[in-house]
Amino acid sequence: MKISPYMAFAKKSFLQKSAYRLEHWMGILNTLIRLVIYVEIYRALYGGRETVDGITMSMVTTNFILSLGLESFFVVNDYYLSSRLYDGSIATEMLLPVSFHGRMLADNLGTAAFKLIFHFVPAMIVACLFIGIQAPAGPGMFGLFILSALLGYGVLWSISFLFQMFSFWLMNVWAVMTIKNVFINVLSGSMIPLWFMPGFMRTLIGFTPFESIYFTPVQIYLGKITGSEIILGFAKQIIWIVALLLLGFMVWQKGQKKIVVQGG
Amino acid sequence: MSFIEVQDISKTFKVNKRKAGIPGMIANMFAPKFEYKEAVKKISFNIEKGEMVGFIGPNGAGKSTTIKILSGILCPDEGKISVGGYIPYKQRKEYAADIGVVFGQKSQLQWDLPVIDSFELLKAIYRIPEDKYKKNLDRYTDMLDMNGFINQPVRQLSLGQRMRSDIVASLLHSPEIVFFDEPTIGVDIIGKETIRNFIKELNEKDKVTMIFTTHDMQDIEQTCNRLIIIDKGSIMYDGSLHEIRNKYGTSRELIAEFNEETRVQPINDVIIEDKEDRRVSFTFDNNVTDVNKLMHEILGKYSVRDITVKEPEIESIIQKMYTGEAFV
Repeated sequence: MKISPYMAFAKKSFLQKSAYRLEHWMGILNTLIRLVIYVEIYRALYGGRETVDGITMSMVTTNFILSLGLESFFVVNDYYLSSRLYDGSIATEMLLPVSFHGRMLADNLGTAAFKLIFHFVPAMIVACLFIGIQAPAGPGMFGLFILSALLGYGVLWSISFLFQMFSFWLMNVWAVMTIKNVFINVLSGSMIPLWFMPGFMRTLIGFTPFESIYFTPVQIYLGKITGSEIILGFAKQIIWIVALLLLGFMVWQKGQKKIVVQGG
Repeated sequence: MSFIEVQDISKTFKVNKRKAGIPGMIANMFAPKFEYKEAVKKISFNIEKGEMVGFIGPNGAGKSTTIKILSGILCPDEGKISVGGYIPYKQRKEYAADIGVVFGQKSQLQWDLPVIDSFELLKAIYRIPEDKYKKNLDRYTDMLDMNGFINQPVRQLSLGQRMRSDIVASLLHSPEIVFFDEPTIGVDIIGKETIRNFIKELNEKDKVTMIFTTHDMQDIEQTCNRLIIIDKGSIMYDGSLHEIRNKYGTSRELIAEFNEETRVQPINDVIIEDKEDRRVSFTFDNNVTDVNKLMHEILGKYSVRDITVKEPEIESIIQKMYTGEAFV
């Protein structure tokens, strides 16, 4: 059987992921613990009320289950490029007749597929049984939610892709990545549902790619946005993916000339 | 147009220059100092299809940088380069499918997987047709005697076994050009011999163009017909091994063993040195002194038991070239 090189990379990373079982169980536990903490904080803040500013507690819970659930298998390896530059294996990487970015994506997707089956699904079952999730606004909306979630992954991946390109200039991108991830945590709605953000912050966040990652799919799932708002949401996601990737490729073109092979 | 054309290629690296210790570290944090190191300076050469060329030079001479530019990993700062119609750093992906590269110090095999699994992965990456893959795999593993360890994980292999696996890995897709960067580094004599014979056969039978760097002159003597010597980023010599001997290796050493203790009279242009066991060494330049005459003179004057004439080792010629003596 002939498989494409990218499928081979994805399969390899899928298989490699299964080698670390303890890490995997800990990952599921981590998702569930965060979920319980976030939900309990908001339950306390709600103080027994049903709604605050028109947002019901069950909407908040659903927001957390969905965004933390998606987060659990939205795999991006922020250090893919920098680790290869650091140990010099970029040399052998560049000798393969495949696109570097395609290979990076295939690698991430292989891991993501593993996490989808063995992390997302069990965590979701536990969450739905013990915490409870609101039903989607309708079958059509559920379909749109899935589509939007896929685009959300695209946005997340593209942000990481662009930031990774700094590796050509900075050998250590840890600080840059940490700042990036703080922005994603706070502004994507996975820590604070964006409904509670003050008005001007909401507007500001609307101009960043962050709400496109988790919040847009969640809004669609709950039926909080409809019709033209959904189209706008999709448009924003696609525009961000294209813009970030284009920018990333431009930096890549510049950075590629600066490759230094460390260690002989 | 030649198969490989390199014209005035230069590559400069920016190196952070840091003083030692904590004061140096603090100074470096606020006012980093950089210096520019020219790894390769305006190098030019042409290589024809089917040639086997050895690159030698001391450590840090720019050999590996040249190989990395030729294989499309590094982008030259200036100059023109074309290999088989490709511009390596621009058409990296397409070019990579046509070449093979072996780095003696970097493995392209998967550390945790058996060798054969890495080969299978490469088969998918290079889209090698099944029959071609099978044919190449059987032939190469046989030639390099690899059947004993092909199912072992790479991390359990000896250096020589790993190197052989890496060589096969880079050849499975039948590349037209193969670059070897120190393929015999750290390999024992038998292993080296196997690798050399393999390289030679591949070049002769399959007409694969090969370029390799090495520090081992035996590698060059046994395999290459052409030699390029690089030092401090520039080409010092480009030609055949034979020519280098004629040009720079003209000194000869004649050693005569006498039947009794003998005091040898001085001879013009010949350095005479007494050695132990009644032996005397006569060092002379082949172009200045005629061996025939010298031998006659010695045989006529003294009672000689044995006589030998030695050519200089290629190693010592190259060593002289590195240190600049050959040009004096």
